[in-house]
Amino acid sequence: MVNPIYIFILALGAGFLLTLFDKAGRKVSLTIFYAVLAAMVAISAQWLIALLGGSETAMIFTAGFKPPFSINLQMGLEEAIFTLAVNMLGLLSGLYLIKKFNATKVNAMVLFLMMIMGINGLIMTRDMFNLFVFMEITSIATFAMIGIDRDIKTLSAGFKYMIASGIASVLFLIGTIYLYRFSGMLHIDSMAVALDMASSQATLLAVFILLMAIVIELKPFPANGWALDVYEAVDSGVVAVIAAGSSAGMLFALYKITPLLNETLLLTVAGIGITTFVASNLMGLMQKNAKRLLGYSSIGQIGLVAGVFAMLVYLGYPINGKMVMLIAGGLFINHFVAKAGLFWLAGILNKENTEDWGALRKKPIYLFAFGAFILALVGLPPFPSFFAKWQMVMIFAKDNQFLVIAFILLGTLLEAVYLFRWLGKILESEVKEKIKVSFAQGLPVIVATLAVLGLGIYSATIVPGAGSLNIFYLPLLLIAALFVLDFLPVWVKNTLVILLMGFYTWQLLPGLEGYRFLFGVIFLVGGVILLIPGYAFKGKRVGFYPFAVMMYTGLAGLLIAENTLQFFTAWELMTLGSYFLIIRGKKAKPHALSYMLFSLGGAYAMLSGLGLFFSVNGNNLDLALLSSITESTSIIYILLVIGFLTKLASMGLHIWLPGAHGEAETDVSPMVSAILLKAGMFGLVVVMSAIQNPMIGNVSINYVLSWLGAITVFGGNLMAIYQEDAKRLLAYSSVGNLGYVLFGLTLMTHLGWLTSITYALNHFLFKALLFLAIGGVVWRVKTKNMYEMGGLIKRMPISFISVLIGIIALSGVPPLSGFAGKWLTYNVLIEKGWVLQGVVLIIGGLIAFLYCFRLIHTIFLGQLKDNHRKVKEAPLPILIPQVIFMFAIMFFSAYPNMVLRPVGDFLIKYFPQGAINWQNGVAFTAFGHWDGLGVLMITGVVFMAVFGWLLLTNRKTQKVGQFNIVYAAERPSRPELTHVGYNFFAHYRKALGVLSKPYAEKFWDGLSELFHSTADFIRKLYTGNGQTYLVHIIVFILVVYAFAMGG
Amino acid sequence: MTLITILGLVLIMIGLWGMLTQKNIIKIIIGFSIMDTGVHLIMVSIGYLKDRTAPIIDSAVDQANAVNTVVDPIPSALVLTAIVIGLAVTALMLSYAIKLYEKKGTLDINEFKELKW
Repeated sequence: MVNPIYIFILALGAGFLLTLFDKAGRKVSLTIFYAVLAAMVAISAQWLIALLGGSETAMIFTAGFKPPFSINLQMGLEEAIFTLAVNMLGLLSGLYLIKKFNATKVNAMVLFLMMIMGINGLIMTRDMFNLFVFMEITSIATFAMIGIDRDIKTLSAGFKYMIASGIASVLFLIGTIYLYRFSGMLHIDSMAVALDMASSQATLLAVFILLMAIVIELKPFPANGWALDVYEAVDSGVVAVIAAGSSAGMLFALYKITPLLNETLLLTVAGIGITTFVASNLMGLMQKNAKRLLGYSSIGQIGLVAGVFAMLVYLGYPINGKMVMLIAGGLFINHFVAKAGLFWLAGILNKENTEDWGALRKKPIYLFAFGAFILALVGLPPFPSFFAKWQMVMIFAKDNQFLVIAFILLGTLLEAVYLFRWLGKILESEVKEKIKVSFAQGLPVIVATLAVLGLGIYSATIVPGAGSLNIFYLPLLLIAALFVLDFLPVWVKNTLVILLMGFYTWQLLPGLEGYRFLFGVIFLVGGVILLIPGYAFKGKRVGFYPFAVMMYTGLAGLLIAENTLQFFTAWELMTLGSYFLIIRGKKAKPHALSYMLFSLGGAYAMLSGLGLFFSVNGNNLDLALLSSITESTSIIYILLVIGFLTKLASMGLHIWLPGAHGEAETDVSPMVSAILLKAGMFGLVVVMSAIQNPMIGNVSINYVLSWLGAITVFGGNLMAIYQEDAKRLLAYSSVGNLGYVLFGLTLMTHLGWLTSITYALNHFLFKALLFLAIGGVVWRVKTKNMYEMGGLIKRMPISFISVLIGIIALSGVPPLSGFAGKWLTYNVLIEKGWVLQGVVLIIGGLIAFLYCFRLIHTIFLGQLKDNHRKVKEAPLPILIPQVIFMFAIMFFSAYPNMVLRPVGDFLIKYFPQGAINWQNGVAFTAFGHWDGLGVLMITGVVFMAVFGWLLLTNRKTQKVGQFNIVYAAERPSRPELTHVGYNFFAHYRKALGVLSKPYAEKFWDGLSELFHSTADFIRKLYTGNGQTYLVHIIVFILVVYAFAMGG
Repeated sequence: MTLITILGLVLIMIGLWGMLTQKNIIKIIIGFSIMDTGVHLIMVSIGYLKDRTAPIIDSAVDQANAVNTVVDPIPSALVLTAIVIGLAVTALMLSYAIKLYEKKGTLDINEFKELKW
């Protein structure tokens, strides 16, 4: 094997000789330059392979002495991983910069080699003073490299960097020399042993000074203004090395001196790191400059890695153990690859403002890369940070570090805000210009994309409980295949996905039991049916199918999840897939963002709950044990329920829903409304069936939730009546509908659950039907405003019948299935005696009639508008599923026992009391009975009788033209004048306006404004003055000293 | 603490003071240099042992008893390296100063605030 010291020999040798070779031509020197970089990669790669194969850590001695009498280098597993990462970065960034190396003097190549070599030295050396030397080599090479650009911004940023780094090196020297004085050693490992015996105040101070030197180089908040300037101003290829590579070296230096740190200092580092993470992500909120934004994110991520690492060591996890590798290592490598990739992309686009990145849309590969990096930074599956974050929460929860978890999740959420906002902006923007990507600049980005995906999959195989993740392998393979096959026409992909999903459903469904089967029908059978409208789309529909499959993978994963890791992974996959489906809508971008943020916030609450569950459950991930925990049940319950309520869009957490569902595409709206909302319900069913009736003090949590459900019904329905946009009306109606579901579950009785679950099934049927029908209308008339429609009954009769059936089922009048829900609800209310909530529910139900009426009156009745006279019926692929759903509703209405009975049967397991008594399809409860088929038949007979009578008596009716009427002595000229549709319920608004003000929106807007203004206030710290930055550094050190050493 | 160590500390403080108060970039660099010198002094003072001779093994030093008769050579070796590195950094800072002056015609550090927030 090649001795790792050749990394240095090659780099130094080439560095000295390149100038000479350059005389023979630039091609020669370039060839040697890349050959050396490639050789460095090869050396670390072969060491990594050997060490993974079981080789022992290699020690390289110099000067013929053994340590501590000489400088020695070490090549262990950690060193091999880090140097390989850094050398790969060097090779790719070198390639990325080839144009620059061609254009400038040969010095640039030399300096670049020195940078990479210096970082290698930082990683490999075990000698404290040598560490200083390599630190300085890296810094000096970096300063000089920055100085090659003669731009004023770059130069002033470089100078600020030098001042900060100068302070750090002074501190490092003082710390080192005193540690040498106290230990008599410079060899780091021996020093740690020698110092252990004499941990006097003076030694501690020396360690502190040394630590501060390294911490300053790691860019702690607020002593990091210089770093932001460097990230913003320096050339992308170089800054990728600084942000990823140099930080890697400094993190490794921290890793090396960790044995010197006592508990206080470890906690100090953890505190600094996590504070930096939260603060810089907060300030990132206000940033528009792309590279500076990446700078904020970089600083935050480095803080996170350092903080989490120190925390883990503090908690007693072995420094080179599996947990540190998985969590801190995973977070680090994730940041390393993603950030390098993003900086490279920044250079390719060469756009300062984040809002000008739309050109990426013309380059699907790079858009995909950008998306992958963003998702990796936020920590969504299948990226390394997802598994690292998961394991981190589990571990910290086990050690009761909930404050740390809360801060880290807050920081992550803040980062998600600006990253997803950026992604949304790109997807929304009009593309004016094209970008050209050269091979040398494109390749590094593609390699980074593949690396981050590959590392994610690798993390998925090493996280504890990894074996159970195999349920996702095949679907993820299919998703990957769909990305590759995205060039196929839409009907091919649609058929393929329907067949595969149908087959999967066929395989999976019979094996599901109890409520899982019912949700399986909603998620999967419903999913297949709702893919049919896809045939109505033309072209390729790029990016639809991979994410649709991802969403359904998540939903299916929830059904079969046996442990919390599976459940959470499935949950996040579902969120991610649905986000990308929603964002396809033309005006859906801001709503998709708020959907994502609420979902992430909810998911983090859930993650904390799962972490707590893990800790009280004896470190077991098994989800089935949820029913047997005895400690902290209420808190776990609340955290999990909050997570599910965000998906269920309960009042207060609902503000994302109307926009997200209303602005989505025709077939996406029913998917997310009829199917996806039930995922939240599924979660509630899982938790509530396990933990029954938790209390806080004397208050039953479920009682509080029942009020939330009732208010949601009332509020959702009330807001629905004021909507002019038909799809938003349906969306608000969903909010209200799901309030019923929540209410039913909180009753915690047999009938309550029966109501809730059947209502969910019912909502699935009628909301899918309504969204499809209205979507079909919108598809044809090209507007969603109801007042612009009217009289469409003649043009779109099938859609009319769909809506009619849908609203009858929705409003809960006999004979259709909605009545089953209502009848049960009244039974339950009597049984439970919750009169007040009952009143609110009944009023809410009455309000529902108002908006149902509008759907028929304003869209289908009244006067046909001039521009709709030639409108055709909705496309067949959109009508077919409607027919299916209509038949399903009819069947359910006629034979409610077919559903209610089996549901009741498995509910007996949880609620043995108060079940329905069935006699030949007639339901009997303590308060009465109901015969679904009988009611349907009676209603049918009455309807037919009236209809027949009308037909008989109305034979002589004379048909009149549209304007053949007298209208206040004036003849109306336009249909709009005879059909009032706008602000239809103005009188109700006058009466109930107070109740329907957007209080929740105001609250969340206020919160957002608060965060943004705080961010703007704090970032004013960074005045741009190098001297101010120096003051920050000094004050930072003094404050940390007071905290760490003062007490 | 020896006198030299204290002197070194004083120099560091003077240098830092200069860096914090002077607006002229050249003066800031001088401040940095003074601070660096202070650090070097401290390093040398750590290695110094009273009444001992230079760590050069020749006829003047008894080889068998050298450990007890010479000063610690390592800090001296380190300080040499540190001086070299300090020189390089100072030189680089000065060349930055020249470039900055060429671009803006001023050396006032308050004038270089293009990047902020």
